Amino acid sequence: MRTTILLIEDNEQNRYLATFLLEKRGYAVISANDGPQGIECAGRFLPHLILLDIQLPSMDGYAVAQALRGHPALAGIPIVAVTSYAMPGDREKALAAGCNGYIEKPINPETFVTEIEHFLGAL
Amino acid sequence: MNTSLERRVAERTAELAVAKELAETADRLKSAFLATMSHELRTPLNSIIGFSGILIQELPGPLNAEQRKQLEMVRESSRHLLALINDVLDISKIEAGQMVVHPEPFDLRDSLMKVLGIVKPLAEKKRLSLQANLAAATGTLFSDPRRIGQILLNLLNNAIKFTEEGTVTLGVEKDEATVRFSVEDTGIGITPEDLCKLFEPFQQVDSGLTRRHEGTGLGLAICRRLAGLLDGKIEVTSVLGKGSVFTLILPLRKPEVS
Repeated sequence: MRTTILLIEDNEQNRYLATFLLEKRGYAVISANDGPQGIECAGRFLPHLILLDIQLPSMDGYAVAQALRGHPALAGIPIVAVTSYAMPGDREKALAAGCNGYIEKPINPETFVTEIEHFLGAL
Repeated sequence: MNTSLERRVAERTAELAVAKELAETADRLKSAFLATMSHELRTPLNSIIGFSGILIQELPGPLNAEQRKQLEMVRESSRHLLALINDVLDISKIEAGQMVVHPEPFDLRDSLMKVLGIVKPLAEKKRLSLQANLAAATGTLFSDPRRIGQILLNLLNNAIKFTEEGTVTLGVEKDEATVRFSVEDTGIGITPEDLCKLFEPFQQVDSGLTRRHEGTGLGLAICRRLAGLLDGKIEVTSVLGKGSVFTLILPLRKPEVS
């Protein structure tokens, strides 16, 4: 079975960008436009990794991470926050909410997939 | 008499409370504005940097030489724009009092080697000799290693940028009260008139050479403010046509025992 990555991101172009890079490297990508849809997809597909945007409509990424962590079947899936927030304390907030890693946008298209794989390697 | 005085005191106290509230609201608005701007500016940049990078890597298909050249220009400009956004945010955070330094004990030599490792390829690209006098860089320093790294990277980048041939040297000196980091170059130098406006925002020295030295014009302004947050300062001496020395001077201090 191919390694599956769930991408929770509301910006269409950013979704296309990350999906393109990940699919080129052979990953299966499922994407969700918002938090509730993302949590639902996580439960249905049990992905190997979740990439999570922080600024999402209605339910923000911190709340999504907490919800995922509170769900026994999903609690072990690594979550990487991918965020264009870059204020002091954002990284700490993401980690405190249950994310395993934090990648700042704009992403570097040359290194993005390798950075992600670092978290897959921990499986 | 007494009652009127008391009434006036009560009035003034109420006025002050309102003023304080307003100031705090303004402060919160400024924080929210900065966070929103950061997000709103980076989101489209993510697309521009991301897709131009994908195309240059030829992931969707091969490029001809002209397409590659133009896409590299897009990428260069988008990186420049990102540097500007980061610098403007840094300056705004400092001025809003939101840039907090985190002092911790760290190995002096290790962090200097890290900084040198980052700028080495830039020096090599310009065929400059990058030297380091790190004999005094021993032991543990108690300060904010990230901010010191940011300042030194900025000074070294500038030294490399404004030097066409010769040497860029990073040096360290310590006495009982201070540690001094110096970045010396054999570059174009700075006139005495330009020295005084060097640390003002958006004041890249306007010489005939300006066009060749792109920058945000905020680097030194940020460095000086960061040095201040670390209770230190930056000094500069320069001879036009010979080179410049920028020195970051920080107090040596031990972690406070609490």
